[in-house]
Amino acid sequence: MASNLSPWGACRSLTLRTRSILQHAERKPAAPFHIARRGLAGNTTSRDPPSGPGSDGALPPSMAGHSSAEKSYTIPPPEQFAPNWLNADAIAKLEQVAAGEDLYDEGVGLKFGKLDELPGKNDHLQKRYPEVIDQVTKLLMRDGKLSKAQRDMSLILNFLRTSSAPKVSPLRPLLPGAPPAHTLPLDPVLYLTLAIDSVAPLLRVRNMKGMAGGGNALELPEPMAARQRRRVAVMWILDAVNKKKSKGSGRAMFAHRVAEEIISVIEGRSTVWDRRQNVHKLGTAARANLNHPALLAKRRK
Amino acid sequence: MATANCWRCLGRPSTQRLLAPSSLASFRAPTSVAAFTTSATLLAKDDNSFSMKGHIRSGKRLVLGKKKKGKTDRSKPPGPGERKAFRKRIQLSNDNALKVTGLPELEAQKLVDPAAVGQIVSLPSDLVDQLRTAEAFKPTQNWGLFRSPHMLVRKDTVDFLGDLTKRVGNKETVRTVIDGERSVGKSMLGLQTMAAGFMNKMVVINIPEAQDLVEARTDYSPIPRTTPEQFSHPTYILKLMQAIRSANEEILSKEIVKLEHIHLPVSVSRNSSLASLASATKEPEFAWPIFHALWQELLQPGRPPIMFTLDGLSHIMRISDYRSPSFNLIHSHDLALIRLFVEALGGKTYFPNGAAIVGVTTKGNSLKVKSMDKALEQAAADQAGLPIPERDAFYAKYDERVFEALKGVKVFDVKSISKLEARSLMEYWAASGVLRMRVDERTVSEKWTLAGNGVLGELERASLYVSRL
Repeated sequence: MASNLSPWGACRSLTLRTRSILQHAERKPAAPFHIARRGLAGNTTSRDPPSGPGSDGALPPSMAGHSSAEKSYTIPPPEQFAPNWLNADAIAKLEQVAAGEDLYDEGVGLKFGKLDELPGKNDHLQKRYPEVIDQVTKLLMRDGKLSKAQRDMSLILNFLRTSSAPKVSPLRPLLPGAPPAHTLPLDPVLYLTLAIDSVAPLLRVRNMKGMAGGGNALELPEPMAARQRRRVAVMWILDAVNKKKSKGSGRAMFAHRVAEEIISVIEGRSTVWDRRQNVHKLGTAARANLNHPALLAKRRK
Repeated sequence: MATANCWRCLGRPSTQRLLAPSSLASFRAPTSVAAFTTSATLLAKDDNSFSMKGHIRSGKRLVLGKKKKGKTDRSKPPGPGERKAFRKRIQLSNDNALKVTGLPELEAQKLVDPAAVGQIVSLPSDLVDQLRTAEAFKPTQNWGLFRSPHMLVRKDTVDFLGDLTKRVGNKETVRTVIDGERSVGKSMLGLQTMAAGFMNKMVVINIPEAQDLVEARTDYSPIPRTTPEQFSHPTYILKLMQAIRSANEEILSKEIVKLEHIHLPVSVSRNSSLASLASATKEPEFAWPIFHALWQELLQPGRPPIMFTLDGLSHIMRISDYRSPSFNLIHSHDLALIRLFVEALGGKTYFPNGAAIVGVTTKGNSLKVKSMDKALEQAAADQAGLPIPERDAFYAKYDERVFEALKGVKVFDVKSISKLEARSLMEYWAASGVLRMRVDERTVSEKWTLAGNGVLGELERASLYVSRL
């Protein structure tokens, strides 16, 4: 009987490395107990993001300084004639008139002046909703009822805002650079985005029909774009939500269940993490197939 | 087939049957009346009755031609009332939101002071308890987003409550309907009115949702010896009375019973307080007589003024879904509790100590009642000194009782807030950490404009929610 022991078996447990090798040179000594590592998130204690001139204010304003939050809140008197953009505009116009210029010199016949560059067909001046919110809302939609889905989305964010701060499990680290957990409820969009992006799988496994020979499919790992990854994650979350039992009546119940699942994702309790792990395991195993003769032959053609 | 009677005495029913009590109701005192319920008892299957349908087997039932059912759900179903409680849950604090310090606490003077317009005030915890007991907070309001309950003193508040408290102080009766566009803050003004009532030592009675009384959701029973026949809501009135007692305990426990209540089913001594009268019974059956006695006591001279508020006025200005024993639909004004309110609002009840009777209309969940709309239109025109609009000559279904109920009321139209008020509100939201945005002139006027020129509910929707609610 052939022994199954081989040093190469250990390679199976290697996970995908998303960071460059260079940084591994300066790795810190191993943690005293086994903790899953995840790039920057290897340091599992939650901490404030670096605050400096380079970082673009990732902190919510409330956390900027505890001293300012404790200062007594006084309503500032209304500034009736404070210098503002309206006044500045008006003064500029008045100065134009005083200089004897025509008020509507620039772009004759155009109400708001001439554009430097014409906008493209699909250009937006400003997106109405954050990207994740837009995508998730449309994934929540059933029977084309967008307005209902938007209400659900809104209730989900509200629930995240009012539920207590999550406790992040060290075994299920979130994305590197995640803000400390206690600041999450005040920024529900970030909360939702973080949950979805953290459980989103990095790859999918594609089955090439009959390519393995003997009618067997050849499994090939394939990277996914960010939007695709989010879609898969949301569908997994919705699968988990549909298995939960409804405990209440009324319009808030569905949103309540989804929000509970989001929280359990952040806290590492959700079964969605297992699905992610399974896909990654399968992907790791299928890496070997990237050098399969059938595939190489196909590539050569 | 076995019959209930033996073969010998086929002609007459067995004596066992005759002796057995047919129902529990027959043993009650003759004065008591069985409460109707709204459940359709006729539709319920009578298991004892012998039906010719199907084959009768003892023990097993043979099922043919059907697939086996999937796994049955063995988890515990939600208990009775649990689902509704989830739906109607009111959360008044959010530990995630930041604490906003330095805001003044609400006082009775703040609500009538023109200098306080545009201020955010915190609700003292005693008042919060009272308002919660009176069910002044609504599940649709956004109390749950903030650390502790705060509210904006707006111009409408000061205008309305200044007039109200002054007139009630002069022992006048204020009869007002709070009207306005959708989500402009009518129920919120109702809450502020109640707050003023509690702080000015009035006896506050509140019917939080008028539709609970007319949509055949609670049990009802006829009141004996009334013409035309009236109906009470035993369980609802009992709960209401308990709420009145606990919300106004401080006042009611000081007042002593003055009248003789011989006809009451419970004994009430002369020296007992009104609070003990209000809690004299736990039987729904006796709720109405005791509530009525309490009302009579409150109408005696020398008592504190009464504040009676009702939210959802249009629901009680129609024919209810209840049916009388002769299976006719009952008019809402024949339901005793509503009748009490309507007579007070229409000016038929005399209040020697002054009173504030406030009806709040609702636009989100309401019916179109043409009679009420016309009556309010006429009242508003009368108030403004304009020619009174005529009724539509081609509409035959005007309800005379509605016009009677709204005769001579004042209509208070809640308007949208100004930019200054919007600014202080948005600053409070930002200080709570809920609104993550710089609050300056530009953002305030942007949100104010988006909110239909300062409709308060729309302002919340425009600034507090990422996605539309």
